[in-house]
This record gives sequence, structure tokens and C-alpha cells, in this order.
Amino acid sequence: MILFDFEYEPARSLPEASALLSRLGEGARAMGGGTDLLPKMRIAITRPTAIVGLSGIEPEPPSVTAEGGLRIDGLTTLAALARAPLVTTNLPMLAESARVVGSDQVREMGTLAGNLCQDTRCLELNQKHDYQFKAKCFKRGGECCYPFPNNRPGRCWSVYMSDIAPALIALNAEIETVHAAGGRRLAVAEMFSGQGIDPISLEPAELISAVITPPLPANFGWGYHKSSRRGGFEYAIAVIAVTLTLDASRQACTDARIVIGAIREKPVRVHEAERVLVGQTIDDALFAETVNAAVGEARPLRHHGFSRSYLIDNLRIYLRRVLIRAVERARGHASTT
Amino acid sequence: MTGLRHIGKSVRRKDGPDKVTGRAVYSEDVKLPGTLVGRVLRSPHPHARILRIDTAKAMSLPGVKAVITAEDTKGVKHGFVETPRYPPDQDVLARGRVVYVGEEIAAVAAVDQMTAQQALDLIEVEYEPLPAVFDPLEAMQPGAPEIHASHPKAAIEVPYANIGGRTTSGWGDVEEGFASADYIREDRFESHLRTHGYLEPHVTIAYWESERLNVWTSSMGTFIKRAKLARTLDLPYSAIRVHKAYCGGTFGGKIDLYAHEYCAARLSMLTQRPVRIVVNREEIFSAYRHGQPLIIEIKTGVRKDGTIVAQQMRTINNSGAYRGSGVVVIFLAWGFTMIPYRIPNLKYEGLSVYTNYPVRAPQRGHGCPQVRFAIESQLDAIAEHLGIDPVTIRLRNAREPWEALPNGDNVHEAGLIDCIKLAAEKSNIIDHYGKGRNASGTIRRGIGMGVSGYFGGSLIYPNGSGVIVKMNDDGSATVLTGGIDVGQGSETVICQIVAEELSLDLDDVKIISSDTDTTPQDIGAWISGMTYVTGNATRQAAGNVRRKMLDLASSRLNVDAQSLAVEDKVVFNRNDPHQRMTYREIIAYSIATKRGDTILGEGFWRTMRDEPAHPSLATTKGRWSENYAFSCQVAEVEVDIETGEAKLLKALTVHDCGFPMNPALVKGQIDGQVSMALGHAFLEEIITKDGFTLNPNWLDYRMPTIHEMAASDDADVITEQYVVGQPYRTKEVGEGLVSGILAAIANAIYDATGVRLTSTPFTPEKLLRGLRQLEREKRAKN
Repeated sequence: MILFDFEYEPARSLPEASALLSRLGEGARAMGGGTDLLPKMRIAITRPTAIVGLSGIEPEPPSVTAEGGLRIDGLTTLAALARAPLVTTNLPMLAESARVVGSDQVREMGTLAGNLCQDTRCLELNQKHDYQFKAKCFKRGGECCYPFPNNRPGRCWSVYMSDIAPALIALNAEIETVHAAGGRRLAVAEMFSGQGIDPISLEPAELISAVITPPLPANFGWGYHKSSRRGGFEYAIAVIAVTLTLDASRQACTDARIVIGAIREKPVRVHEAERVLVGQTIDDALFAETVNAAVGEARPLRHHGFSRSYLIDNLRIYLRRVLIRAVERARGHASTT
Repeated sequence: MTGLRHIGKSVRRKDGPDKVTGRAVYSEDVKLPGTLVGRVLRSPHPHARILRIDTAKAMSLPGVKAVITAEDTKGVKHGFVETPRYPPDQDVLARGRVVYVGEEIAAVAAVDQMTAQQALDLIEVEYEPLPAVFDPLEAMQPGAPEIHASHPKAAIEVPYANIGGRTTSGWGDVEEGFASADYIREDRFESHLRTHGYLEPHVTIAYWESERLNVWTSSMGTFIKRAKLARTLDLPYSAIRVHKAYCGGTFGGKIDLYAHEYCAARLSMLTQRPVRIVVNREEIFSAYRHGQPLIIEIKTGVRKDGTIVAQQMRTINNSGAYRGSGVVVIFLAWGFTMIPYRIPNLKYEGLSVYTNYPVRAPQRGHGCPQVRFAIESQLDAIAEHLGIDPVTIRLRNAREPWEALPNGDNVHEAGLIDCIKLAAEKSNIIDHYGKGRNASGTIRRGIGMGVSGYFGGSLIYPNGSGVIVKMNDDGSATVLTGGIDVGQGSETVICQIVAEELSLDLDDVKIISSDTDTTPQDIGAWISGMTYVTGNATRQAAGNVRRKMLDLASSRLNVDAQSLAVEDKVVFNRNDPHQRMTYREIIAYSIATKRGDTILGEGFWRTMRDEPAHPSLATTKGRWSENYAFSCQVAEVEVDIETGEAKLLKALTVHDCGFPMNPALVKGQIDGQVSMALGHAFLEEIITKDGFTLNPNWLDYRMPTIHEMAASDDADVITEQYVVGQPYRTKEVGEGLVSGILAAIANAIYDATGVRLTSTPFTPEKLLRGLRQLEREKRAKN
């Protein structure tokens, strides 16, 4: 039960929603499916004075762009994203990343834009504070950090848990936004501040209208893995998303994007590991070197009861498996789905 | 069991239609006009002195009808155990000091949730934080923060601090036993904190009306709730009525008095209005009673052939900040050690240690999973050392039928040996064992076995069950029982018995249950005895009705009662079936000729009726049970040796529950226990830090879902039978089966990987650590 009062304003379009958010001021929040916002309100770590409801706005179905990529409405539910034929055929990795979010009920409610704009999490933060952890932590506007007591003031090491954002960054996707001051297009990777306190760097009344992906090159392969303990209905231990392109002989890697999610305040693209991989002939030793570089670069934060050393072990094994899978797909050895 | 119409059949649950159609009324569904919302203020400190509580601001908030603190109580303490040695030790609201995060300090009753929440925020409490201790071994050290003084008797015997209770037991001479052993092995096992996972939260609605208290509360037994409410409220038992409500799962977590139950009652008495308290899930996870994490140190001596000659065991229980059931689990740990195998020489010590955690409760198995995990793991290690297979070593030590136990009990028709043999045969464990580890690739399969034994229906208040069967004029029956159906199906089984004894259709039997005013007292649904104790009382009550009806028919038909039989609501002469009377006619005849005597029958049952009381928790002396159940379980697991991820593929349960009164209900119990063991083994853990709970929600506390559930196969070893008109012996089947399978999973993981895990849960992190250790050992050897 939500134990405070707030206003509710339904919007009929995103521009109207943006205008409402501007008018209602900084206490207002937009709500798509509510799967991130409502639980936060229930435990009162977010106390909006007004909610602008987006659920009455019908999303456009996914479409092919002039460039040959996809354009997906931000209000597309995760369930629709996971099963849309255009997505499962053209971007199976994105469909896969939507399919592993939460549970059936969460996916039926949650939206693509909402998933990207979700807040960072931490066990001590994401619970009621009636008597546990009563003193406010940095993220709640207070003066301490429970999991990392020696953090410098204002530093919050909560973790961004989206399963989809790493896939979109690996796919080099962009978002298109709506804002009273004019919308914009920016890379998905650019929408994150890297700060646990306020992880999304969009303007208060700026809303994601669509996600746009570029066309895929020839000899393209992908790999994706969400590590979890029970395979569903939970946030990730870590998310690994890899895209790569092989040369015409399909022996050497010409391009790669390796993104690791659910281990830091934002998805981490491991550029060093990508540099190790690109331009080289694929073999086991190269995978090992790539994995070493990635793990060194990722610097996971311990979270949700998982130690840093276990997170590194987990990344080490699954990144190698994901790389192998991506190369297999690029070589056409495996079905693209 | 030939000729039985209802017993032994998977008849439809009596409560099934109500539950699947949503008509079942749970405590939260009870709606009374003018009901107030009750909420509880809890401690934000693991240990602190309360210097001041000021409720004035909360009281003056519009919409607040009452606020209570310890000052508003009678000061009567309560406890899970209330005996001369272990008197009640817990106040219903904290008095002067709090000893765990979430301890109840005050409660409010207000017109709505929001006002109640605001009222809690307005209660001013000034604390002086005190040093706290969370690890039982640290808490035992002299000089550790004192939560409570060690029990006076334990303090004389052992030099430890914070000892809530101590159990010692044994027989033979362990030193002599170890001296005669060919091989001695010592190990240490640890189990973790896991919660019950009942879906219905704790809910209580209390209404003080016309000098009587009406209570609906989610519970495992209404009579114990009535007793504890009466004592803490200082009311006569007759002034309290605990009504029946459906219950959405308990697993041990809803037995004795909880503070919110007292608070709802007291607030209603003060406001003269109904007060409802719904405990939220965060409170259940972070402030309510979970199971008991045990440390088990075990030393076992065996002969070359695997025969156990001596065992020494020490159990240390992290019992939380009051005694709770902590002093029971250290007694039970002894019992679960004793049951399945012959141990000629045993020395046992159990210590229950106070720590600044919430009080602990029984949890399905009440220590048995932890104990069997330790013993069965060690037994496999011993077998491997001796070059004996896991089946042979278990058969070597398993108790035979009719063996006397060292405490004076007898195992009767114990089916353990048959359980082990059948489990071995069905799983083909001998052929598979030791093979999986040498497979290539990263996936390893393993198989393991675990054995367990469990008591049923021991003597705990209220010790016995009464049942009344009333015949209605039309020949149908109504059965009145205090037995509560917590989902296990007791109402169905009780109706099956009445229908069987009186040769009725199941639809002819109506049941009224678990209402302290209208039904007789019952032992409650927590000592695995309801089918046996309440069931035999039911059988007796129905049998008395049957006897009365036969006598009446005998006098009316002028036929010797021995010649009469019953079928389909008719009594007839076996030698001349034309001589017959319907039940309806017999009842009318009884009323006409017996001064209006309608027909009803009473039945009573108590386990070990010549025993005055339960055995000593401190010395284990005294009889414990007359019903011992046995089981042997086999687990097949798969381990990814690169990631350390393990899963249960298949569980086999072969058990001796006497005989299954309702096979579908038994199967439900088995599958539920396999699922619970699977959660214990791999997924579920309450993560705590300095007395705070880090994952107080279903999201971060991972219960298994249908996707994790393993294939669960089972077989009965039938050792008893049901004969109409005669007492029967059923055995426990609802909680002991979490144990053998947990041990079997551990043994199967060892079989798959060579890693012997000595603590639960079996996480990838622990498995990887173990695999690396093996690699290092291998390298050191080469």
C-alpha cells in the first residue's frame, strides 16, 4: 500500500505528457507500466507529488527505418517487444533481452522506455525503512552508505539493473526523445550519468519516444546472457551483451561491442577488451585474452549478496561462452534466434 | 486394506471447492463494521536500552483511537516453551530494552492505514544503543555483550555466556566406542537462515464485544492461541473465542503467540472496536521468526564394515534474542540423530545461544534437515574411505522393525530397511554412483542418498484431541474437531474416517473445525500427529456412533448386534438382509425410545497415554513418541563445473508413513518437501548484516518457482493397516522429508564433483571454491 497522497494526470500523447511534467514541477514523475515506480512508492523511497500516466497512449508497432534498422516505440511493452515478429527476426538479441526481464506479469506491464529509465538498486535501499536502515543513505538524501560505509560523501554505488540496455548499447542503438524544448536523438550509452544517485541523465520532462537501431552488417554475430540464480523473476547477477562482425573469411573479428550490465551504476562497455578482439584471428587464446581484459576493466561492484570475486568468476565463464556463441552466429553455425 | 471405500483413496479435498472458487474465508477476509487498522512500532536497533517512550503526539493525532506500550500490558510473559526449567521469557511489548531489530515496542489503532503510519512516526522513543552480538560462537565467549544471563543450570555446567538452554544426552561409553573403532572421522556442518515462505501473511482481527474477545488469526492451532492470549491478557479461557479461518500456509511459522495478536486484542479491548493487524512481508522477513541455523560438530567411529560404534555430537543453535523454540531444536537434534541408525555409544550436547536476532520458530522438520544433512554427508564420506557403497553402509546401521530405542520408545513396524532397499533398486544408485565425476565436458551428473526418521504426535500442550460426531436426522453426519487444516488436508482425512467408519458417502459428512467455542480441544497442526491423534479420536467418535446405532437396531430388530452390518446408511442383518433399518429410522427410534437421545459419539486420543508429560528438554529422559516414520531419498543433480551452478534434476522419496490415508495428500506433502529442500539447498537465504535483514522481500529472497522444481518420484513402504473399528497407527509424512533429500543433494553434488560441501546453501561460489581446492590438491600431488 502506498502511504502518501499524490495527484494522477493521464496523458494522451508524449508531448502532452512532457508538457504536464513541466507544469507539475519536479515532484512529478512519468509512469509507463509502473513496474519500477510503484514498488518504489510502496516502500516510499520515491514520493512523487504527481504522476503523469502514459498507459493510455497506444504505442506504434515496430517498423523498419529508411536505413534498414528498426524503430521501436518507447511505450512498447516488454512482452510485445519479446514477441514482435520484426524484432525476433531482425534483432533476436533485443527480443531475448526483453524475454528475460522479471516475470510474465512484469513484462506485460513494463515498457521499453521504462525499462531503460529504471532506477539503480541496492538491497539496503530497495526496502521499507520503517525500522530497518532508518537513517537516510546518500541516495535518499542522507549522510551514509550502508553497503560501502567508506564511500565518499554523495557517492552511491547502487547498480543499474536493466537487462535490455546492455543489448541496445551492444547493438549501437539510439533513443529519440520528446521534450518541450525540442526532442533529440542520442546513443543509448549517452543516457546514463554513471552516478548512482541520479543514474539517468535525461531532463526531468524528457521522455523516450522511440529506440532506433542501425542496420546490421554482414557476418554479424551476437551473444547475450543474463546470469541469475533461478532463471527468472529476479534481477541479474550480471548481464553480458556482445555483438561482433567477422571479415569475409569469417576468421578475424573486424568490429566488436562488449557490454556488461548489472554490475555498476550504468552498463559498462569494455573498450579495452574490444580492442583486444578487433583485428585478430579468432581462437581460444584470443577469447581468453579478451575475457581477461574485460574482467579487469569491468570492476564489478558487489551487489545483491554476490561477492566481487564471484561476480568476476561468473563474468569470466559466461563472457567466454557468449563470445563463442557470437562467433558461431557470425559464422552462421547456429540459428540466429 | 481391502473393502475400504474412503481410506487409502485420493478423494477430493473437502476445502478444495472453497479454495479454488475464492469462497474460502481467510482471516483477512473477515469484515466487521467499524474495524480499526492496527500497526506495530518496531525497534530500529539490534540492542538498545529504551530510555523514554512518549506516545502523546501519536495519541492526539485525529483518527488515532489507542496507543499501547509495555505499560498498558499486564506484564505477563510468554514463550514457545513454558516449563519450570524454561519459564516464559518474552514480553508482548518490549520493556526497558530491545534485543533485536524489529522487536515490538508499541502499537496503534487508527481509522485507516495512513493515519496508523503517521501515528507510528509520531511515537518518540529515546534509545541508548548497546553492543550487540550476532555470531553464536562470539556470543558464547565470556565478556560478550549479554543479551540475557545464561540459564542458571547451564551456567553451572559450562563457562559460556548467553546460553538460553542446554541439552545433554547419551548412552554407552563413547571413549570405549571410539577406542574400538577402525576409523574415526570428525566434521563440522553449518546451516543457514531460511524462512518458512507461507504465502498468507500473519493476519489477526480481534473484536472485544460483550466482555468477550473474538479472534480470527492465521495459525496452526486455535487452542494454543487461546491459551496464550488468555494468560497474557489475564482473561479466563472461556472469555476468548478463536474462530476458524482458512489458513494460507504455515510450515511452522504460526504456532505460539505473536505480539501482533496480543496487540490486536488489547487495542480492541481499549477501543471496543474490531482491530485488524496485517503484518507486511518486510516485517515477516526482517522481524518475524524463521528457522534455526545450526552448527553441528560430529565425530563418528566405525568398524571396517561400516558399523557405527560411537558418535559424539555438539549442536550450537543461533537462537535469536529469546528462547523461542531454540531450546527445543537442541533437544530435537538429539532425537533426529537417534532415530534411523543404531548408535551403541552416544554423547550429545546441544547449546542454544542468544544472539541479537529475532526469535526463532519451528520450521518444517524443526532441525531434522540440518541434522540429517550433517550425519548423512559424513556417513557417505566414511563409506568412501572404507570402500563401501552408500546403500550398504546405510543398511548396515539401519534399525530393524520392533527395535527398542535408547529412550524407551519402540520403532514398531519400522520400514527403514525396505525404504533403503527400494530406493536403491528404483534409482539404481549402485550402478550410477561414482560414474558422473569422470565424464568429459563441463556438465557432471551425480547421485546421492539420504535417510531420515521422524517422530509424530508428541506431548505438547494441549496434548490430546477430542472429536464429536453428531448424527443428523436424515442420516448424515457432522463432525466437530478442533483440528486445523493449514493446507495439509486434515479436514478431508477426518471426513474420510467418519465416512469409512459409518459407511457414509463423503458428501454426507460435514465438518466444523478449529473453533475454540464450538469444537473440542485439539493438539494442533505442528507435531506431525493430527492424522494419528485427531484421526484416532475421530475414528473412536464415529465408532461410538456406529456402536450406538448397532445396539439400537439390535434391540428394534431383535437381532444380535454381532450379526448386524452397515452399508449405505442402512443397518442390516447379515444373515437376513431383509431385516434392516435406515440410519434415519434408527435415529428416530432412538429419540422416541431413549428420552429424546439423538445420536452423537465422542472420541479422544492422546499419544503415549500412560506418560505424564513430554520428555525432558534438558536430559532427553522420558518417552517421546509412539510413531516413528522412516524414509530414504535419492537425489540426482547436475553441476556445471565451470560456473559452479548446480541443480536438482530428480528426487526419489521412498517412505514409511504407516499407510497413506489419502495418497494424493501424501504426494502433495512429498512434492512440497522436495521443493522446500531444493530451496534450502540452492536458493533461499535470509541475508543479514549486523542484525538487519538485507533481502526482506520475495524478489531478493529466492523461493523456487515451478521452473526450478525437479521431477519428484515416490513410493510407499506400507507397514500398517486400517481396519474399521480398530485403532490404527499412521506415521509422520509432512515434514521429515525435507531432510533426507537435502542430505541426498549434498551427497549427489559430491558424487558429481568431488566437492564435499559442509554448509548450506550450495551456492556456485562455494562449489567453485571447492573445485579450485581440488585442483590445487591435484597439482600438489603431481
